[in-house]
Amino acid sequence: MAITYELVKEVTANLYDWSLRRIPESSKAEFRKALASETEPQARQTLAFMLDSAERAETTGKFLCSDAGVPSYSIKIGSGARMEGDIRQAIVDGFAELTRTIQPPLLRFVTNPLTNERSFHGKDMPLVSWDLVGEGDYLDITCAPKALGGGRWAAVEILVSPSLDEIERCILEIVLRAGGQHCPPVVIGVGIGGTFDHAAKLSKDATLRPFGARNPEPRVAEMEERLTRAVNQMGFGPMGVGGSTTTFGVHVEYASGHGFTPVAVSFNCWINRRTRARIYNSGVVERIE
Amino acid sequence: MTTPSPIRLTLPLTPEAARVLKVGDVVLLDGDAVATVGMPTQKRMVAEVEAERELPLFLRDGTFFHMGVSYEDSDRRPGAVHYVNPTTSSRFNHLMPTLIRGLRLTATGGKGGLSQESVDAMREVGCVYFSFVGGASALLSEGVEAVTDCAWRDLIMQFRLNRLRLSGFGPVIVAIDANGNSIYERLMSSARERLPEIMRSLRPSQNNETD
Repeated sequence: MAITYELVKEVTANLYDWSLRRIPESSKAEFRKALASETEPQARQTLAFMLDSAERAETTGKFLCSDAGVPSYSIKIGSGARMEGDIRQAIVDGFAELTRTIQPPLLRFVTNPLTNERSFHGKDMPLVSWDLVGEGDYLDITCAPKALGGGRWAAVEILVSPSLDEIERCILEIVLRAGGQHCPPVVIGVGIGGTFDHAAKLSKDATLRPFGARNPEPRVAEMEERLTRAVNQMGFGPMGVGGSTTTFGVHVEYASGHGFTPVAVSFNCWINRRTRARIYNSGVVERIE
Repeated sequence: MTTPSPIRLTLPLTPEAARVLKVGDVVLLDGDAVATVGMPTQKRMVAEVEAERELPLFLRDGTFFHMGVSYEDSDRRPGAVHYVNPTTSSRFNHLMPTLIRGLRLTATGGKGGLSQESVDAMREVGCVYFSFVGGASALLSEGVEAVTDCAWRDLIMQFRLNRLRLSGFGPVIVAIDANGNSIYERLMSSARERLPEIMRSLRPSQNNETD
């Protein structure tokens, strides 16, 4: 048995479709906590409206947002996975078919950066990253489409032999620059170290971690808690119109590197589109999120 | 700690009605608004306004939103509304002052707010900015009854000028009023001011000596 073109095509298209219509369970839990802790009445009202709207989208199959977001997949490959056919092409073809058939129709948002032309396809679409992990006999696929509102505020700064204080200041300055523009309460992913590209990928991966799960290293977990508190003290609040709920969590990942230390920060808006499934060699598909 | 019930308003507002609204007011909207999310659209609008030509859709003294709209379009006439959702207004900061003054808009809106130049233009003409909840398309779309007209069909659907009929659209929040007050400006200044103190409070017990 193997993981086939057909199966990958179907599963990746479904993951994208599902991500447009429901928010992750861990996001719902954070909304309920924030509804109890947020002290600004208007911010609470906004949070309640968001959660109600997400529940309406989920129960009626409506879209959460009109911006379906650039299709973006993170795929972890177990070393025991066996693949049959052109797996990359399966993702391209699955997305192409979906954009032709999905109801309601999607708006055109895939943009050629050189001409600003918009369509449903383009160079490197969908965006896919591949990592080899462990010995599993599966592909573990996360789909997290990125919309304009959340995507445009990410940044990478390169510091030289920074102290932890300087790293944290850099993170908070990037957060401050974004203000409340990215449809908060956001998840904030931070990648520290490695190289420019590696830090950016760590930051992206950090946004994919469900809320409630801290980095396993206590020093980093403490940093996450500290930064989460700091961001919420800034006061931007839900939709950036005031309140103490600007982020549901700052997630930090790091890698060793050299004396130059890239610090990457990226954001995912409150709908936090993310779905995940595993396809095993046996052909079994396990939906995880 | 309850919030007051929303004010119900019919668009377009008069400048006088706009000036009465205050930052923080919660509003439900009825009536007529024009919406787009297109950068090329708004560049074209600016060119028309600067050349003192009329737009293909009447928008003078009207309402102009940064909002994407998807609708049935099979017979080249707007049909049933699929969904709507605001986009980030601040990316049009450089175009909006000309549109606010040139069209004498009385209401605009979207998400993320507008810069000081637009706040000044809004104060001059009597115009407010409404903040919509982004990503809440399922509920927000229920306040849009119909797409009544559209112009510039050479552009993709959400980039056209789409005229909407609203009924109970929102709740939306007055985030910039016609008297020069902006929630965005206030929150950004206050966050900037508090950053040093927030930084100091990160590690109260360690005296910040980490290297």
